[in-house]
Amino acid sequence: MASADAAQAQLLFETRLRGTPRSRFKLVAILFCIVVFYVVCWRLAQVDPVKLVNGLPKLGHWLAQAWPPNVAELPLFGLRIAETVAMAAIGTTIATLLAIPMAVLASRNITPFPRLYYPARWFLNALRGIDSFVFALLFVAAVGLGPFAGVLGIALHTWGSAAKFFADHIENAQLGPLDAVRTTGAGRGTAIVFALLPDVLPVLLSTTLFWWEFNVRASTVLGVVGAGGIGLELKNSMDLLDFPRLFTIIALILVVVTVLDQISGWLRKRLV
Amino acid sequence: MTPTRSLFEVRGAGKAFNGVAAIENVGFAVQRGEFVAVLGPSGAGKTTLFRCLAGLTSMDSGAAILEGRDVASFRGRERRHIAVVFQQFNLVNRLSALQNVLAGRLGYVPAWRGWLRRFSRADVLLALQCLERVGLLPQAAQRADTLSGGQQQRVAIARALAQQPDLIIADEPVASLDPRIGAGILELLRSICHSGDDGIAVICSLHQPHFARQFADRVVGMAGGRIVVDSVATAFDERALQYVYGRDNDGPTAPANGIQTLALA
Repeated sequence: MASADAAQAQLLFETRLRGTPRSRFKLVAILFCIVVFYVVCWRLAQVDPVKLVNGLPKLGHWLAQAWPPNVAELPLFGLRIAETVAMAAIGTTIATLLAIPMAVLASRNITPFPRLYYPARWFLNALRGIDSFVFALLFVAAVGLGPFAGVLGIALHTWGSAAKFFADHIENAQLGPLDAVRTTGAGRGTAIVFALLPDVLPVLLSTTLFWWEFNVRASTVLGVVGAGGIGLELKNSMDLLDFPRLFTIIALILVVVTVLDQISGWLRKRLV
Repeated sequence: MTPTRSLFEVRGAGKAFNGVAAIENVGFAVQRGEFVAVLGPSGAGKTTLFRCLAGLTSMDSGAAILEGRDVASFRGRERRHIAVVFQQFNLVNRLSALQNVLAGRLGYVPAWRGWLRRFSRADVLLALQCLERVGLLPQAAQRADTLSGGQQQRVAIARALAQQPDLIIADEPVASLDPRIGAGILELLRSICHSGDDGIAVICSLHQPHFARQFADRVVGMAGGRIVVDSVATAFDERALQYVYGRDNDGPTAPANGIQTLALA
């Protein structure tokens, strides 16, 4: 049944599948590059399985020492964890509020100042590129030790991430309703609030919840640089090799993070 | 007969994209209470023309004049004089039908009311009357995206009415609806147009010539970015149809281009 044309086409596909000598050389070259990449990375990261095997008993020893947990200091740990959650909540909220106008400015389709589109995007990328940990380090030097430095660090980094995410979302949004509301004689700002915000708001709230949860996890380490929260106690315990204390704190962090995870997951499901 | 001044007049409208003319030297006039249908094959420039008339796109040449004033000079709330009904309805999905209709009041109320979505009792009453007019009063509290396509288009028309406009521009309002629902929408637009007391004019683009004959007072035919027919609806016959859509359905030898057909005629 096969016509001459079909047979020809089949031949063509077969040679294409087998590949020409040139395409086979390209494949080998690509594989070689990938192998070189991982060898170099392995060396740079100083991966040494022997060290891990030698170190494991030490970890086991500490774990054995960690029992019974240190419950006497639970009230202090509770306060510090609450501090961490509060830092994340305030930082994330400030970031979201700042992100909304910034997202409008950084959305190609609705920005009132097209000239500022690229500068706005660069600015947000810079904020996003610097971790809240690094910002906190700077702010500890500027405003002193304590949770406030952590709040500022979280706020700045999350501002960049949130605004970029919102802007991408707005750039993909349907602009029909916005056009429609504009033709009723509404001003640009009113039209954005009336036509765009109701559709964007659930996404906005649910991602804000997600960032809050993410920032709680991230800010457990902010205490290490002196920016308040449970990380401070974590570092103290490690410095003193006080393992019951250390593992109590880690267990507490796990519990709180899991509970927040569940709450924010439930809330987000209800929002969308 | 003394010529009365038209409500709305388009003169020499032109618009090009990347040097290619989408519409060229388009001109026609619309009287109060008149329903004008615009017909034309896809790519004839209907959508471009309508976006220009609605002020969503600027014209390269020519002007659209509403009661002696250039539409291009309309700023902000002056745009409320021309309401637009879209093919895709363009309602805010997560708002109720009533709130979508209240959007039509944004050109009248202070901005804070729009931001907070708090409207005066008079405005809410007006919006409810508009919903009643389109037959959707029972659905006032329903979210827009739970309504059927025909219902959504009715809400969009109620929004246009709430604007209390002089002119409604409808860009293929029935293209996404089945013929029966579409006929209902056009009947509604015609009744709004002919109800006398407010004297709103309607300009409506369509893809179905029989709808144009059935509902419109006048038919404007476009082809290749120009107007090739402008006649009363009752006079819009098969010959006029051929000016607009070409004669390619007559047989394989017939010229396929509307402009060419006009030249032959």
